[in-house]
Amino acid sequence: MIRNTRMKRISIVSAVAVAGAMVLSTLPAQAADPGLTSTEIKLGLSSPQTGLAAASYGKLPKAMKAYFDYINANGGVYGRKIKLVARDDRYLPQQAATQTTKLVLEDEVFALVGALGTATHTKAYAAAQLAKKNVPDLFVNSGFSKFGDKTKYPTTFMILPSYAMEAKIISKFIADTPTLRPQASFLIAQDDEFGEDGVKGFVLGGHKFTAPATLYPQGGLSSALAEGALTSLGKLPGNPVLVLMGTTDTTATILKAAEKLDLTTKFNWIVGSVGGDATTLKALGVKSTTIDGIKAASFFPDAKDTTDEYVKQFMIINTKYNKGVAFDNVVLQGMNSAMLTVQALRAAGKNLTRTGLIKAIEDKGSTFASAGLTSLNYSATSRVGYNGYWFGQLNAQGELKPYGGTRKIYTTDSTTVDVPVPLPDTYKRKPIPKNGIPTN
Amino acid sequence: MHKISANRKRLLTFILLGWALLLIGDRVGEFRQYQGSFVAMYALAIASIILLTGYSGQLSLGHSALMAVGAYAGALSINNLHLHPVIALIIAALVAGIFGLILGIAAARLSGPYLAGTTLALAISLPTIANQFTILGGEQGVAFDIGTPPARYGEDFSQYKWFFWISSLAALIMIWMVANLMHSKFGRVFIALRDNQTAAQLAGINVGRQKAVAFGLSAGVAGLAGGLLVMLISGVSPSAFPLSLSFSLLTGAVVTGVYDLKGVMLGGLVLVAIPEIADSVGSRVGGSDGFTIALPGFLVSALLILAVLFLPNGPGKLLKKKM
Repeated sequence: MIRNTRMKRISIVSAVAVAGAMVLSTLPAQAADPGLTSTEIKLGLSSPQTGLAAASYGKLPKAMKAYFDYINANGGVYGRKIKLVARDDRYLPQQAATQTTKLVLEDEVFALVGALGTATHTKAYAAAQLAKKNVPDLFVNSGFSKFGDKTKYPTTFMILPSYAMEAKIISKFIADTPTLRPQASFLIAQDDEFGEDGVKGFVLGGHKFTAPATLYPQGGLSSALAEGALTSLGKLPGNPVLVLMGTTDTTATILKAAEKLDLTTKFNWIVGSVGGDATTLKALGVKSTTIDGIKAASFFPDAKDTTDEYVKQFMIINTKYNKGVAFDNVVLQGMNSAMLTVQALRAAGKNLTRTGLIKAIEDKGSTFASAGLTSLNYSATSRVGYNGYWFGQLNAQGELKPYGGTRKIYTTDSTTVDVPVPLPDTYKRKPIPKNGIPTN
Repeated sequence: MHKISANRKRLLTFILLGWALLLIGDRVGEFRQYQGSFVAMYALAIASIILLTGYSGQLSLGHSALMAVGAYAGALSINNLHLHPVIALIIAALVAGIFGLILGIAAARLSGPYLAGTTLALAISLPTIANQFTILGGEQGVAFDIGTPPARYGEDFSQYKWFFWISSLAALIMIWMVANLMHSKFGRVFIALRDNQTAAQLAGINVGRQKAVAFGLSAGVAGLAGGLLVMLISGVSPSAFPLSLSFSLLTGAVVTGVYDLKGVMLGGLVLVAIPEIADSVGSRVGGSDGFTIALPGFLVSALLILAVLFLPNGPGKLLKKKM
């Protein structure tokens, strides 16, 4: 009887244990985030590949893909290959919203990288529910300062300095340059957060333009409008300062209008970092003589500077993995963002998760190697990438040479009236990882 | 045997359709729910074109502008007046309707290519005008956030399912109302206008007034579709309503059969499917940027030609014939 009872107990315990084991074995392991397998990390990018803005930024996905191909050929990230799914949004907000939503829902990407544009990405971020779905939104190519607001964009990391920072630094440059200071000055800018942020920055920087800014809709600056604006400004005495804060295709439209009106030498041209790529300007038909002498802001080394170790390495990768594509600022930017992405993925470790990736950039992002000439400012409280600029002057070959002979980098913020300060001489950019392959 | 009236039969059909959509919404993933929301929105916009062009015989190339009016009205109702999204969508329809009525009064004397030209000008100029008013948010526009789904539906109830429910319900109710209207005295008056204005006038119909009413009703439906569109993309901006949208809607209406509401869902489906098909073909075939840009337009043109050749009255009529 006793034996029977004991046997019965053992049988019951065994049955419960087996049943428990069976139940446990059928429970899924903690579900992996979408876009991840043991062999692949799927990333997504929405940017203009066709349409007007593609002339300026169409190279971005190809440049990023070329760098990822290079990394994949060298073992990937902890054995996983990176796959970049690039969708064309034609630089239109509605398209960006639907394409980004498709990247998240249909392509099921693990994270977004290098999204481009302000009006486009603000709509895309909300429509694709990036915050709710905790989709990392890495190295956004927009200087809209609100993308740095962690409460509104909890998964976003900016890479460009904000347009407000850029405007503050341009204000200082004008004030510090004796040939520019006494001239009348005007701003032609894109009428969205881009221009708005810029106008705010000039107010913070204490610069007063001679007239209110001329704002044009995104993608809406026609040759006729540009000629109209320049004709009236061309009648002013002296050599007015004309600040252009727009995309490269609109910079080209304005410069070509000046060529047509024979006003290229009338103005002191200052071009913002987003719209001042000389290679693209030339490809869009702007003459070398027009480009010669334009003052431009940048946070990168010049894309033609082969003495720079990052430029040199990226050029090698471009030649092999992005055949037939001319190396310029956009390619440099794309490869730099891709290299930062690889470092971020590595920093997140072998057990990759979306939350882990975001945390890794917060914790270690400021230590990543990058081509930018100022530091990255990622932390638990900051989603801002670079925060400084230097001023150069383009020559007829399209090279950006430091204005006044010495490269002086100024850093600032987006919200205060504090005057931009020079980067300390002690600051040294981190050297590029061996062969451009991160090992962090 | 008791015979069900046509009105009841229509109501029953719409209830069944709604029930089917509810079931479909439960069984498909978030992406299909999102696409389904677009299908419903486009179906509604196509219904507005059919109401105006198919029934009252007026050609509009500016329906994207009418959608924009509704979209801005809805967005401002949420952002500035903090109204409930459902009320905002009703306001979108009402404001666009009133705008359309005023436009209809002005355009009552016009017909054919003159009316098409006027509405085309509207589609081109209205977004530019929107850029001039600070309250409309300039180029970046105004956010249109309907908020998260009610908590009572549970945590698993996604935002996209919520979009699908709202779009489908709004489209079903509005199309049901339009279908009823078209089978009422109004519908017969509109058809009389379309078929022979002089005869309609001789029969005592005030042609100008009825044309304006048709324009107003069509604009109201388009305004609601505009509100739904910007709900799906989370914000309204001038670039969300390009001229190409007007042409796409006309294409959808032709494919649907411009004299019949029965195929509107198919029209919506076609408008959602064309970019997908073009995407897929483009990535498989490869080719230059020019090819990629031209492919959706080419597919639309091919579809238009095929529809005109083989289904000039739309699939709805075909279905009726077979039955």
